[in-house]
Amino acid sequence: MIEELSALALGFAATLLSMPVTIQKMRKHRIVGVDVHKKDRPLIPEMAGIAVLAGLTVSVVAAAVLMPEKIGLLASFLATTLIAGVIGAVDDMKTLNAKVKPLLTAFASAPILLMGTYSPYPAFPIIGAVRLTIVYRLLIPFAIAVPSNAVNMMDPFNGTMSGTCSIVTLALLFSSLILGRSDAALLCACLLGPLFVLYYYNRYPAKVFSGDIGSLSIGAALGAIAVLGQLEAVALIAFAPQIMNAFYGLATVGRLYERREVSRPVSMLDDGRLTASSDPRAPITLARVILARGPLYEYEAARVFMVLASIAGALAVLTAYLTMVTP
Amino acid sequence: MIRRILDFVFVLLFIWACMILGLWVIDSLIVPLQLPGVTNDIMTATLKVAVSAVMVIVWLWLWREMVRRMFWRTVKLQQHLADDSRSDNPKQGDC
Repeated sequence: MIEELSALALGFAATLLSMPVTIQKMRKHRIVGVDVHKKDRPLIPEMAGIAVLAGLTVSVVAAAVLMPEKIGLLASFLATTLIAGVIGAVDDMKTLNAKVKPLLTAFASAPILLMGTYSPYPAFPIIGAVRLTIVYRLLIPFAIAVPSNAVNMMDPFNGTMSGTCSIVTLALLFSSLILGRSDAALLCACLLGPLFVLYYYNRYPAKVFSGDIGSLSIGAALGAIAVLGQLEAVALIAFAPQIMNAFYGLATVGRLYERREVSRPVSMLDDGRLTASSDPRAPITLARVILARGPLYEYEAARVFMVLASIAGALAVLTAYLTMVTP
Repeated sequence: MIRRILDFVFVLLFIWACMILGLWVIDSLIVPLQLPGVTNDIMTATLKVAVSAVMVIVWLWLWREMVRRMFWRTVKLQQHLADDSRSDNPKQGDC
C-alpha cells in the first residue's frame, strides 16, 4: 500500500509543479482554444495533457523503482499511454482525419501485445473467469482505441472529461481493492494524482484545456488499466456515460466524425445558459440529451455529468463485488 | 435537475441489469447448449459465440433506441410546453 500511495503522491506533486509551467508555455506560444460556452469567449491555454503525461511518467517511474518486479507491467502501461499522447499531440497541432485517429490509437496497444503483460482470462460477474487465449489478443486494440476516443468525445463542458475520468479511475481503484487485483490498484494510483490536478485546473471556469494529448492518453491509460488489471467488465460499466456519449453521436451521424464537421449539438442563449440545438443534423450527444429538458448554466450541466459518472462508478463497484462472489 | 438525472439513472440501471441478465443467460443456457446430432465441437462453439454476439448487438440496439426515444420525446414535450405558454400569454400585437 505504501508503494501505491507514494506513486499517487509523486504523480500529484509532479503534475502540480508542471501545470503552471505548461500553462505559461502554451500562452506564450499562442497554443490556446476558445471557451465557446462563455459569453466573453476567453482564450484558454490548450494541451495541458503534457503536464498530465509528465506527472504520470514520474509516478510510473517511482512505482518501478519501488517495485522492480512489476517493471514489465508498468513499462507497457506507460508506453501505451505515451503513444496515445503523441497521437493526441499530432491531432492538436494538425487535425487528424476522423477515421485515422481510431486506427492510430489502436496501435497504442502494441506495447501490451508485444510485451505480453496481459492475462487472457477476463472475469465476469455470474460467469466467472473466461479463457479467451486467441480472441483476447484481437480485442486488445479495441480495448485501447474505444476508451481513448470515447474520452476524447466526452469533453463538452469545463471539467467534464477530467472529472468523469477521475471518477472512473476511483471506481476502478475500489474495484481492484475488492477483487484483490494489486496490479490494477497500482496503475490506478499512478493515474489518479495527475487526474486530480487536471480536474482542479480544468473545472468550471477552466484555466486550462487538456487538448487531445490529454484526452486520448487518459482514455488509453484507462483502457490499459482494464486490460492489464483484468477489470474488463467493471471498466465497461464505469465507462457507460462515455460509451453512451460516443455511441449516440456515431449512431446519429452514421459515421466517424470530427467535431468541426458537424453542427454543434449545444448552443448558448443570451443569458449565458446552454440549450440543446434544434438542428436535426446535429449529433445526439449526452450533452444535447441532458439539455433537451431545458437550458442550464455550464456548471450545472457539468454537475449532471459528474452525477452520472458517480452512478456508473457505483454500479461498476457493485459489478466488482458480484464478480468477487461468483464461485 | 433531479428529473433530468433520473432519466439517465433509469437507462444506466436498465443497461446494467440487462448485462447481468445476459451473462446469466450465456452461463446457464448458451454455454451448456448441445445441438442434437451435431458432434463437431468447433461448429457448436461457433454457434454459441454467434448467439452471444447477437445478444450483445440486441443489447446495444436497445440502449440506442431507449435514448433516441427519450431525447425526441423530451424535445416534443418542451416544444409543446413552449407552444402552450405562447398561447396563454399572447403578445399585444396578437390581440
